[in-house]
Amino acid sequence: MLVKLTISSMRKMFKDYLVLLFGLTISIAIFYMFQTLAQNKAFIESNAMISSVVFIFHVGSVILGFITIFYIFYATSFIQTLRQKEMAMYMTLGAKKGKITQLMFFETFFIGVISLVVGIFLGIGLAVGIAELFMWQLDFQGEGFKAIYPSSILTTVIFYIVLFLLTSLVNAWQIGRKNVLDLLKAEQKQDIVKTNGIKTFIGALLAIILIGIGYYAMTEIEKLQQFGVILATVTIIPGTYFIFISLLPYVVKKLKQNRRLNETGINSFTLGQLRFRMLHLTQVLGTVAMLIALGLGAMTAGISFYHNIETQSSMYHANDVVIHQPTEEDLQTLKEMTITEQHAYSYKINDNGIYYLKQDLVENAPEVKAYDAEFELPKTKRVNEPLPAARYSLNGEEGTEELPENWWTAISTELNTSYNMFGSLPVYVLNAEEYQKVEADEQSVILVQVDDFMNYLSQFETINDNQTELAETYLRKPVENNGGKYGNYLAFKSIASGTIFMGLFLGVAFLMMMASVLMFKLLSSAGADVHRYHMLRKIGVRRSLLKRSIYRELFLLFLFPALVGLVHVIVGMQMFSFIIIEPYTKIWIPISIFFVIYGIYYLITVHLYKRIVLPKEV
Amino acid sequence: MNQPVLHVSHLDKVYGKKNENQYHALKDVNFDIQSGEFVGIMGPSGAGKTTLLNVISTLDQSTSGTIEIAGTNITAMKQNQLADFRSEQLGFIFQDFNLLENLTVYENIALPLSLKGVPSKDIKPNVLKVASKLGIQEIIDKYPVTISGGQKQRVAAARALVHEPAMVLADEPTGALDSKNAKSLMETLVHLNENHHTSIMLVTHDPLSASYCQRILFIQDGQLYKEIHRDTTRNSFHQEILDVLAEFATPNELD
Ligand SMILES: Nc1ncnc2c1ncn2[C@@H]1O[C@H](COP(=O)(O)OP(=O)(O)O)[C@@H](O)[C@H]1O
Ligand SMILES: [Mg+2]
Repeated sequence: MLVKLTISSMRKMFKDYLVLLFGLTISIAIFYMFQTLAQNKAFIESNAMISSVVFIFHVGSVILGFITIFYIFYATSFIQTLRQKEMAMYMTLGAKKGKITQLMFFETFFIGVISLVVGIFLGIGLAVGIAELFMWQLDFQGEGFKAIYPSSILTTVIFYIVLFLLTSLVNAWQIGRKNVLDLLKAEQKQDIVKTNGIKTFIGALLAIILIGIGYYAMTEIEKLQQFGVILATVTIIPGTYFIFISLLPYVVKKLKQNRRLNETGINSFTLGQLRFRMLHLTQVLGTVAMLIALGLGAMTAGISFYHNIETQSSMYHANDVVIHQPTEEDLQTLKEMTITEQHAYSYKINDNGIYYLKQDLVENAPEVKAYDAEFELPKTKRVNEPLPAARYSLNGEEGTEELPENWWTAISTELNTSYNMFGSLPVYVLNAEEYQKVEADEQSVILVQVDDFMNYLSQFETINDNQTELAETYLRKPVENNGGKYGNYLAFKSIASGTIFMGLFLGVAFLMMMASVLMFKLLSSAGADVHRYHMLRKIGVRRSLLKRSIYRELFLLFLFPALVGLVHVIVGMQMFSFIIIEPYTKIWIPISIFFVIYGIYYLITVHLYKRIVLPKEV
Repeated sequence: MNQPVLHVSHLDKVYGKKNENQYHALKDVNFDIQSGEFVGIMGPSGAGKTTLLNVISTLDQSTSGTIEIAGTNITAMKQNQLADFRSEQLGFIFQDFNLLENLTVYENIALPLSLKGVPSKDIKPNVLKVASKLGIQEIIDKYPVTISGGQKQRVAAARALVHEPAMVLADEPTGALDSKNAKSLMETLVHLNENHHTSIMLVTHDPLSASYCQRILFIQDGQLYKEIHRDTTRNSFHQEILDVLAEFATPNELD
């Protein structure tokens, strides 16, 4: 009988349960999606630029786990408030407490299991979608990534089953502990928020000062070094909370005091709702803002690093492309580029070695990347070391002198006379007389600088393919990377994009989770608002006006943490300005990703909220 | 003065759709309320009092019949027109106060004016005026949770009156008040009615509250059953009401 009652009442409260199911499903989906990557050790290790990425994923898992626990905690308190009155009614009708407790337990558990099944399917979908999107964006193969990852499914199932069991138990225990009157009165509890003017003002001031110091520390990170990072952390975190505890309520209060604004249409209600809700949600809003900053920061930094690859790959090459024994196609391709410097050098190659003509080299000395001092990035410099001897070699072969350092770099790096190109042949630089004696056909190599490396990636690919083919004729085996700047660029990109892919994945998972926490928290307090909207309808507020009020109120609640998080990130990127040339060039990409995710959550929240609070029209 | 503020004719209300369980809550109800009248609606629980009030207040739709308020036929209106009509022509007082806890007393009272688009500079004098009528000037900046039930109902009354509606509708306004507060609220309503010519329609099942009215309509099983006028003292009117209510019980007991 009781079971029947429960099922029928669950059907009645379908829309409330829908919110719960939806929230849990999203949480599970995100958790699973994150696990597909976090547990795929092989993938992480083979694609990570730095070993700490594995560690970061472990930390990420832990943080996500904690957020999830909070999430479930909200969820169960939500289910509790939904059911309390009814449970009390059953009790007054004479149902045994034990029976009710049991019922409560199964109900929570039942909903958990449904959302677990749906959530994992959704999680697989998300993992596929997001992974594909980023791989496509980053031009990254991502081999070894699996959206359906059995051990992640297992972890997710175990983690949530344990959580559901625990929360169902706690839930049942709490209901069981209360007496009927407590339960009946639960809904009548009024939310009183006491605010103290002076405290609020001091808090608001503190928020501004702390954030100010933190931002200063981040912009002056070069001077302050590690101290700056610590200073920023210890000021910005409490500062952010103070923003939500004091500054924003203070601002809303000031807004409300503007009578012209407050007394127009339904504004007084919207602002009143906003103020009360903000005071109730300070911790949630502050945490959301902080984690938005983290997630968005991870994504922004990742994308900036991605666009820094070019800078990194030109670290060792002063010239953009080198073409040994150019083919007709190579020469045609060169015509498509805007060339800023071009030199051609003659050389001979036979089974005993590679021989450069000294005169050619000295007359058109190439540029190289030279180290001036240790621990500094190499600088571009034209080779000017004299070469008085008749014979030089790269590695000091018998009867020769070793090449001076910059010439050595010029030949081995800029001209790519390397193992990757020609195998382990000795390399010589000879004067005209010696060069004449070498019995081999004369070849040439072209060294080119262009106006913008990134503009000609497809041309470089053509040339690179031809060079690789050439290298294969010398090495007599498949060549993966012939060692030129473009080859380096590709190698860098493939390693970096793996790391960046993970950074983006992590960032997106966090953003989705945070936004869903906010959504859920807002929806779980919607029940208390129902009577307010009913009342407003009674005194003659148009439905369209009620909707507008909901859109505005929730918009501002979503906006504040987003804005705070965003400003943190924008200022925080200053910290990278000494590693990344232009940290802000592509910042719109992560920001748009963020706003899309966030916007979707906002719309879903508004939609569900409207379903809960808006009275049905007759 | 003697032009009806409310004209109800052949009003029917059926709950439930055609092929479902139907319940005929109002059957051919006809009556008028004159401008400036204070009319009570009484009847046993389930008689259809709240239904009648909801239909008149446009919160619910009638099945057939016409309702005219201040000369406007509301049965043919669309959703938005109804909302506007409520906000302009009607004032409500409910049993459970229905104040917005997230707004101060002042803001609660001011809301109907802001909704009507009254400019901000005209709102304050109006709010203060009605607050002093109801004796709640001192608590104007408080939040509803911090004031007593009697005060809450006065605030609700102030909100119902602030925009000078054609008619005030009250559903069991004294239902959640103790007898002292109930008495004081009823006296306030009488004062408003007598000195400010506010038309009031009051639904109640409390004979003492009802005795403050000038005229009482009794309904039973969705039909008008009886109508009595007060032409003597309040005490004897109270007795008259109790007599009618006793009549109700008798035929039922015979069933
Ligand atoms: N929304 C509804 N659907 C179906 N029946 C209703 C509805 N509201 C009220 N009723 C029925 O109409 C009758 C009159 O109800 P109501 O007007 O609330 O009586 P009261 O005089 O006690 O205020 C009752 O029998 C009630 O069960
Ligand atoms: Mg009633």
